[in-house]
Amino acid sequence: MNDAIHIERLHYRAGKNFAIKELDLHVPTGAIYGFLGPNGSGKTTTIRLILGLLRPLSGRITVLGLPMPEQHARILGQIGYVPEQPHLDTTLTVRELIDFQAAFYPRWDRARAAELIKRFELDGEHLFGRLSKGQKAKLMILLALSQCGDLLVLDEPTDGLDPVVRRDILSALITYVSERGATIFISSHLVHELERVCDWIAVMDDGRLITEAPMEKLKHGTKRLVVMGAPAEIVNPPFRVLTRESANGGGAGENWVVGDWEPGMTSYFEGVGASVREVIDLDLEEGFVELLRSFREGRSRR
Amino acid sequence: MRAMFRAVLHSQWKWSRLIVVLGTVAAFAIPLLSLQGAARADRGALQAPELLRAVQSWGTLYPLLATALGLLMAIAAWAPDHRGRHIHALTLPLARWRYVLLRFGAGFVLLAAPIAGVLIGSSLAVLAATLPPGLQAYPIALAMRFAFAVSVAYAVFFAVSAGTARTAGIILAVIAALILVQVVASMANLNLDLFGAAQTALLLGPGPLAVFAGRWMLVDV
Repeated sequence: MNDAIHIERLHYRAGKNFAIKELDLHVPTGAIYGFLGPNGSGKTTTIRLILGLLRPLSGRITVLGLPMPEQHARILGQIGYVPEQPHLDTTLTVRELIDFQAAFYPRWDRARAAELIKRFELDGEHLFGRLSKGQKAKLMILLALSQCGDLLVLDEPTDGLDPVVRRDILSALITYVSERGATIFISSHLVHELERVCDWIAVMDDGRLITEAPMEKLKHGTKRLVVMGAPAEIVNPPFRVLTRESANGGGAGENWVVGDWEPGMTSYFEGVGASVREVIDLDLEEGFVELLRSFREGRSRR
Repeated sequence: MRAMFRAVLHSQWKWSRLIVVLGTVAAFAIPLLSLQGAARADRGALQAPELLRAVQSWGTLYPLLATALGLLMAIAAWAPDHRGRHIHALTLPLARWRYVLLRFGAGFVLLAAPIAGVLIGSSLAVLAATLPPGLQAYPIALAMRFAFAVSVAYAVFFAVSAGTARTAGIILAVIAALILVQVVASMANLNLDLFGAAQTALLLGPGPLAVFAGRWMLVDV
C-alpha cells in the first residue's frame, strides 16, 4: 500500500439531499494533496469520513495502511487535524491547550511547539476564546504539527485569514513536510493557494469526485483551444472535451476546453478535417471552473 | 493514561472550580449550622426533640446539595465538548469509551472535595457540640450517604448530559407523555397514579434514587 489515504467505492448519505456516491480517492504517501470543491460539495464530509467521525454506508477507507473507522484510535495518533471551525475549548489558555494535547500524543514534539509559539508570536497565557481568528488558526496548526503525525488533514485552514497569516501557515506546513516527509491532505476553495503548494489535486462537486490528478498534469493538460471547422460529432478523441461552444457567434470557430491535453494532439484535428488555431494555457482556477461547468452540464443533461 | 487523566482533570477543574469551591463550602457549613445553638453544654435531655427537629430540617439540604452538585458537575463536564460539537474529543487518539471514562472519573475526583467537606464539617460540628443523653452522632455515615447520593446524581446527569439534543428530546417527550396520560386518566376518573408509581419505584428501597429519600440525620437516637 503506497497511499496515505485510500478510499474505495465510498457511499455516505446525510439527510435526503446530500450523498457521497462511489467515491474513489488515492492520496500518495508524501504528497501535498489539494482537495478542491465549491462550498457544500462534500469536502468536509469526506474529511470527517477519513477521520472516522462519520460512518460510511458502504465502501472502504484505509488511512496510513489501517482500516478506518475500525482502527480509529491508532490512526488518529498519527494524524494532525485542523478543522474548518475552531473546535478547541475557549476557556483554556494557549499553554493549557498545548499541555492538554501533549498528554494524548506519544510523539509530541515539545521543541517544535516551543519554536512555533515563537514563530507565530503566540502568547501562552492568552485564552483561546480571546485570540484573533489568525491566532486561532496558527495555534491549531501548531497543535497539528507538534503531534509529529505522518499525515496532516487540514480543512480549509487558511479560509478568511489575511495574506500574512496565510503565508506564515503555508510556510510552516512546507517546512514540516520537507523535514518529516509527511503527507498533507488540504481542502480549500482557494484555488490559487493550492496551486502554489500542492503536487496532487482532486476536484469534488455534489458529493462526487470529478477528477484526481498530479498538479502538473492538471495544470498543463487543461487547455482552451480555438478550433476551426470541427465536425458536430467527434469520435474517440485522445483528450477529454470539457466544454465546447461557438466563439463570437460561430464565425470565428469554436472554443473548446479540453483536459489530458498533450503537445502533438493538434494532429487529431487534422485527421477529422478541422484545425486548431490557438492553444491557450489555463491556470488552475480557470481549469477548475471549466471542470465544474462541464460536470454540471453533463449532470443536467442526464 | 495517567497523563491523559491529569490533562482532563485540569481542564475539568478549570471549568467547574467555582461549583466545586462553593459546593465544598456549603457541604462544610451545613453540618456546622445544623448543630449550632441546639447542642450547648447547658441543655438537658428535654432538649433532644428540639435538637432532632433542627438536625432534620437542616438535613433536607444534603440531598438537594448532592443533586445540585451532580447536575452542575455533569453539565460542566460536557459543556466545552458540546460547544466544539465534540470534534476535538472525537479526533483524539483514544477509544471513545476511554475518553468518556476520563471525563467521568475527573468529575468524580473533583466531587471528593464536597464529600470531604461534609465529613470534616460533620466531625467538627460533633466535636464542638454536647449531645443530650440518648443521642448519637453519625458523621461518617452521613458523609458516606452524601458521597453515594452525589455519585448517583452525577452519574445520572452525566449520562443525560452526554447525549445529543435528540436524546434530551426523547427524555422530555417521555415525561410529557406520562403527564398527558396522567391528566387524561384523571379526567376519565381512572384509578391511575403514574407519578405515585414512579415515585415508589425510584425513591423507595431498593429504587435507584432511594438514597435521596428519608431522613438525613447527623444526630439521631
